[in-house]
Amino acid sequence: MKRPLRTTALATAATLAVASCGTGARTTDDPDGDGLTPVTVGVLPITAVAPLYLGVERGLFEERGLDVTIETGGGGATTVPRVVSGELDFAFGNVVSLMIAREQGLPLTMVANGMTTTGDADTDYSALVVPPDSPIQSAADLEGATVAIDNLRNIGDTSVRNSVRVGGGDPTDVDFVELAFPDMPGALSNGQVDAAWVVEPFLSISLAQGATPVAANFVDLHPDLSIAAYFTGDDLIGSDPDTVDAFSEAMDASLDYATDHPDETAGVLTSFTEIDPDLVEDLRWPRFPSEIDREALETVAALMVTDGLIDSAPDLDTMIR
Amino acid sequence: MTATPATESRAPDPPAPARSPRRPARDGLGRPLLGALGILAFLGLWEAVPRLGVVSDRYLPPATEVLVALGARATTPGFWAAVGDTLAGWALGLAIAFTAAVVLGFTLGALPRIRAYTTSTVDFLRPIPSVALIPLAVLLYGTDIRSTLLLVVYACFWLIYIQVLYGVADVDPVAEQTARSYGLGRLARVRHVVWPTTLPYLMTGLRLAAAVALILSITAQLVIGSPGIGREIAVAQSSGAVESVYALIVATGALGVVINTGVRVLERRVLRWHTSVRGEATA
Repeated sequence: MKRPLRTTALATAATLAVASCGTGARTTDDPDGDGLTPVTVGVLPITAVAPLYLGVERGLFEERGLDVTIETGGGGATTVPRVVSGELDFAFGNVVSLMIAREQGLPLTMVANGMTTTGDADTDYSALVVPPDSPIQSAADLEGATVAIDNLRNIGDTSVRNSVRVGGGDPTDVDFVELAFPDMPGALSNGQVDAAWVVEPFLSISLAQGATPVAANFVDLHPDLSIAAYFTGDDLIGSDPDTVDAFSEAMDASLDYATDHPDETAGVLTSFTEIDPDLVEDLRWPRFPSEIDREALETVAALMVTDGLIDSAPDLDTMIR
Repeated sequence: MTATPATESRAPDPPAPARSPRRPARDGLGRPLLGALGILAFLGLWEAVPRLGVVSDRYLPPATEVLVALGARATTPGFWAAVGDTLAGWALGLAIAFTAAVVLGFTLGALPRIRAYTTSTVDFLRPIPSVALIPLAVLLYGTDIRSTLLLVVYACFWLIYIQVLYGVADVDPVAEQTARSYGLGRLARVRHVVWPTTLPYLMTGLRLAAAVALILSITAQLVIGSPGIGREIAVAQSSGAVESVYALIVATGALGVVINTGVRVLERRVLRWHTSVRGEATA
């Protein structure tokens, strides 16, 4: 009785020891001996990361020598420190968060585009919506209204303020409240907020419940706005630029593939989200060009300075690789 | 609950009043029956609230729909993998907290001077909510299971540790002195005097910690994204799959019932000699 127990205990201890070494492993290690470099990518389980899943499924990363592990844990607040600490090799984050992080001195660089607005207010995957019978007809009417966004002092309020400004209203008079996207359709129909900034699949859900779009905040900002990007830490760029290049190339190829095969992109959704298959057909999608539009980011940076999110515009030449 | 008859039959000296054999039998059947009735009433209320339009069924689907969703989910291997991950975090965290709390509790409990020295520190650390350590956990371990363990161990350790300290402090001085005068060594006194006194306290701590460990392992998965039921809830939520969210919450509740029942059975077995259990079975 005693022997097996002790053996088990030893085996467990050994496993734990090996496992704890595993996390410290550098990306150049090759535990499987298959010639592939393991990389971890942190994302949120949202429609916008479908090209990454599709690219992995299609072998576009393997072709370039990468063995990708996708981690869906945590939001932007946790992915940034995890990339900085080197625990994640790459992550997906919105461009405003990345510019704020950069302003705070965090060594982060965009290495591939994430998603781009359609540039068309009627088809974009993000919109400001109001409940049925709302007196609010346009972005300018948002003056004095309560608007739900997912994060204060981020891409939501910056882009919504811009829409109000473009519509001829006073953006300083808008009252923003923080709500998680899944809670917004409920808060809207309950009258807890006057308007909400929603992205898919909650845009489709809201529209199905009779909500009316009053502004396409990303389209208003710039028709070629990159909303999010894949980024890495400057440490990895310094220590292993080949892996970073391989990731950028594979990601670009994945974005192109997703653009050319929208049905497959929609199909991959069920592998990492639980979006109702009936809803998938109606979902609005962002575009997936492989280029990050620098001029659009300059526009965002200028707005962020105006709104006081950052003191001065970042140097985009060093921020985009 | 089901252990009641067995406990009674194994008890060393049941006083066995005339009508006592009927009581455990009724408890054995009656309690689960009442519990089941309670659940049925709750499910009925849940079914009625959205159907009557008290709240929108978009945000609270009726119980039947949620149970159907849970049934469909229970046939997928992914669900059981998530349950396994959750239970692994629960069991491992609880085991670590239990071991550490017992070892430290007995050691410090026997050393009043050092115990007094650490009291204020313990009182300072104990009320800190485990979830406040999430940023630290993420920084140290990312979404690894160790993040979950950090939160579970922190929360459970104090629950058990404090109980052990109370237990050790509750040792009857007369019994202790008697043991001393009979020449029992330090270890023998711990074995025969301190341990039996502390055990009921320890079991209470374990029972409380077992539930808290489940809550925290789910919370860690929900917030940090460690694998498990909590992460499944987060994914379903960000996909707008409301029924799945509730189905997983029901699964969590069921897991809680299983765990609590298991710990109670364990408690009765371990404490079958103790008046709290004997009294309950025979009174």
